[in-house]
Amino acid sequence: MAKREPSISTKNLTAVQLMELDSCVRCGECVKWCPTYAASGEKPGLAPRDKILRWRQYMNKSYGLKAKLFGPQEIPDEELQEFKDDVHGCTTCGICSTVCEAGINTVELWESMRANLVKKGIGPYGKQNMFPKLIGQYHNPYMKDQKDRLAWVPEDVKIENKADIVYFTGCTAGYNQLALAFATSRVLNKLGVKFAMLGEDEWCCGSALIRTGQAHINNVPYELAKHNVEAIQKRGAKKVLFACAGCFRAAKVDWPRLLGKELPFEVVHVSEFLAGMIKEDKIKWVKPVNKTVTYHDPCHLGRHVGVFDAPRYVLSHIPGVKFVEMDRVKEFQRCCGAGGGVKAGIPDLALGVAESRVKDAVETNADILSSCCPFCKRNLMDGRDALNVDMVVEDVIELVAEALGLETK
Amino acid sequence: MAYFSGLTDALRMTFVQIMILSAIAVVIFLYGMMITFQKWGAGVTGYALEPQEGKRGSAITFLKTWWNQVTEESHHGHGKPLLEVLILDILFQRRILKRSPLRWFMHILIFGGWMTLFALSGLMFAVEMTHMVGIELPFTPYMFREWLSLPNYIFGYILLIGVLIALVRRLFVSEVREASIMYDWVLIGVVFLVTISGFLADGIRTGIIWDFGLDPSIAPPAALFHSVISLIFCIAFIPFSKYIHIIAIPLALLANKGGE
Repeated sequence: MAKREPSISTKNLTAVQLMELDSCVRCGECVKWCPTYAASGEKPGLAPRDKILRWRQYMNKSYGLKAKLFGPQEIPDEELQEFKDDVHGCTTCGICSTVCEAGINTVELWESMRANLVKKGIGPYGKQNMFPKLIGQYHNPYMKDQKDRLAWVPEDVKIENKADIVYFTGCTAGYNQLALAFATSRVLNKLGVKFAMLGEDEWCCGSALIRTGQAHINNVPYELAKHNVEAIQKRGAKKVLFACAGCFRAAKVDWPRLLGKELPFEVVHVSEFLAGMIKEDKIKWVKPVNKTVTYHDPCHLGRHVGVFDAPRYVLSHIPGVKFVEMDRVKEFQRCCGAGGGVKAGIPDLALGVAESRVKDAVETNADILSSCCPFCKRNLMDGRDALNVDMVVEDVIELVAEALGLETK
Repeated sequence: MAYFSGLTDALRMTFVQIMILSAIAVVIFLYGMMITFQKWGAGVTGYALEPQEGKRGSAITFLKTWWNQVTEESHHGHGKPLLEVLILDILFQRRILKRSPLRWFMHILIFGGWMTLFALSGLMFAVEMTHMVGIELPFTPYMFREWLSLPNYIFGYILLIGVLIALVRRLFVSEVREASIMYDWVLIGVVFLVTISGFLADGIRTGIIWDFGLDPSIAPPAALFHSVISLIFCIAFIPFSKYIHIIAIPLALLANKGGE
C-alpha cells in the first residue's frame, strides 16, 4: 500500500516560520488586541493564537514524530476550508506581532499560510480571487484603462517628463480617491518641487496580491515590481514619493524582495518628505486650519515599516490645528479594517473594524479624523457613515493643501 | 560509588546507574530535537519559496535558514542589535514585561529559578565527575553539595513562588482558565510536580519544613523519584511538549531581531 501523503505541504512556509509555530506559548496577548477578532464578536477561529495552534497541529499530524512512525494523519478538507476562512479574516495589520511575547512575525506567517493554501487550491476568499486576473490584465484592480492614469490631472498641475522625484500615485488615489492625488500634486507644485509621474507606465504595486497569498499566480507581482522599477528609472528618479501607505509598504519591503535586490532609488512617504521640508523651514503656510484633528496610523505605514512620527510632525505644524491622539496609537493602533484583502473579501468584517476605529476617534472629540492612506480613508468613511457620525475623514496631505490655500477638487 | 538515592539500601542507585538514566534522557532529548529540527527544516529556505521536489526536511536546512535570517538585514526597519536582543529580550524578557508586569514577574521567577537550579546541578555534576576521574580538588563532592544547599534553597523557593503564581492564574483567572488546553496544563503541571518533589525529597532527608512528618527512611526513594522525573520532564520531554518554547522563543527572537 502506498504511503499516505501529508494533507498539507510546507510551500511558502519558511523553516523559521515553522519554528515560530512552536514558539507560541498561547499567552493570549494577540487575542486581546486583534481587531477582527473583536469586530467579529470574538469568533474563536479568528484569534491569532488559535490559527497558530491549528497549523502547529497540522504540522505535527503531517511531519511530527507520530507521522514519522505511523505515517501522516489525514486532515479533513472541510477543516482546511474553515481554516482558510479564518486566516483570510485578518487585515494583516500586525498588532499580533507587536504584542507577541515570542516576537513572531505573524503578518508574514499569515501571508505564507494563505499562499500555501491557495497553492493547494483552497482560497483565497470570495472576490479576492479576481485580483490576479484583473491586475494581470488591467494592471490595476479597478478594471480602468491604463491610458486614463493621468486623466485626473488638472490643468494647473505641472508634471515634468523627467525629474529627480517621481510621485507614484497608486491605483486607489489615481482612479477613485482623486482628492489625494489633487492635493499631493498641487502641494508639490506649490512647494516648488519638480516631479515626474509614470502615467500609463504606472502599474499596480501588487500589494493586494501579496497580502492575499496570490503572489505566485502568473508571477504578477514580480512583473509589476519589475515594470514599475524600470519605469521609475527611465524617469531618472532618485526619490519616489508615495501618498498611499499600501503602495509605500509594497515598494519598501515587497519590491526588493520580489526582485532580489535593493531598489536604485529612495522610497519615501509624502509625510516624511513634508516633515523634512518643514524642518528645513521651506513651507510657508497660507491659512490656518482651525480644527481639532486626530490621526489614524495606517498599518502599512506605521507598524509595517515604522513611520509614526512624520505625519504627526506635519499635522502639529499646520497652523490652527489642535492635534489630539486617540487611545490606541502608533504601534498599538487599531486597524481601520480595510487591509489584507478583507475589504474586498469580507466587507462586513471590514466595516465592523472601521466602526470601532471611528468610535476611537469620536472619543477624542476631534473634528477631523486624518490618515495617510486612501484605503484607510475609504473604510473609515464607510465606518463613519454606518455610525452616522458627524466627522470629516481627510488625508494629512489634504489638510496640508488646505493650509497652503490649495484646492483638493 | 553509592549515589544519594535508591529504593532501599540494598537497591541504592550507583553513580553509574544514574548516569545511564541521564544519558537515556539526553538521548531522548536529542532524538526529539532532531525530529523537531527536521520538522522545522521541512520548511522552505526563504520568503515565498517552495520546497525542493522529493527533498525531506533536514536539521541542516533549518539551521541554515535560521542563520541566514539572523544575519540578513531587515527591510522593515524593526531590527535590533543581536546583543540587545540576547540580553533584553531573551534574558530579561522585556517583551513580557511590556505586556504584563505580573506575568513577567511570574515568568522571570520560573526562568531564573529553573535555569539557576539547572546550572547548580551541572556544577555539582562537574565536581563529581572531576572527583571520579581522580583529579584532586580542595574540597570533596560532599562538601560542595553542602555549600550548594543554600543557593539551592533560595532558587528553589524563587521557582516555587513563580510556579504557584502560574498555577493560581491558570486555575482562578477565568479568561486564562477558559483558554487553557491540555498543552498548557501539562507544562505547568509537570513543572509543579518536579518542583514540589524536589522540596519533599530534601525535606524528608533533612527533616526541615517539607518533611510533613514522613519517615526519613523514604528519603532515598523520594530523591530517586525527583531525579527520575526531573530527567524525564526537564530534559527528555522538552521537544515533545510546550517546553519546546524554551528553545524556540530565543531562536525566533534572534531570527526576527527582537520582533516588531
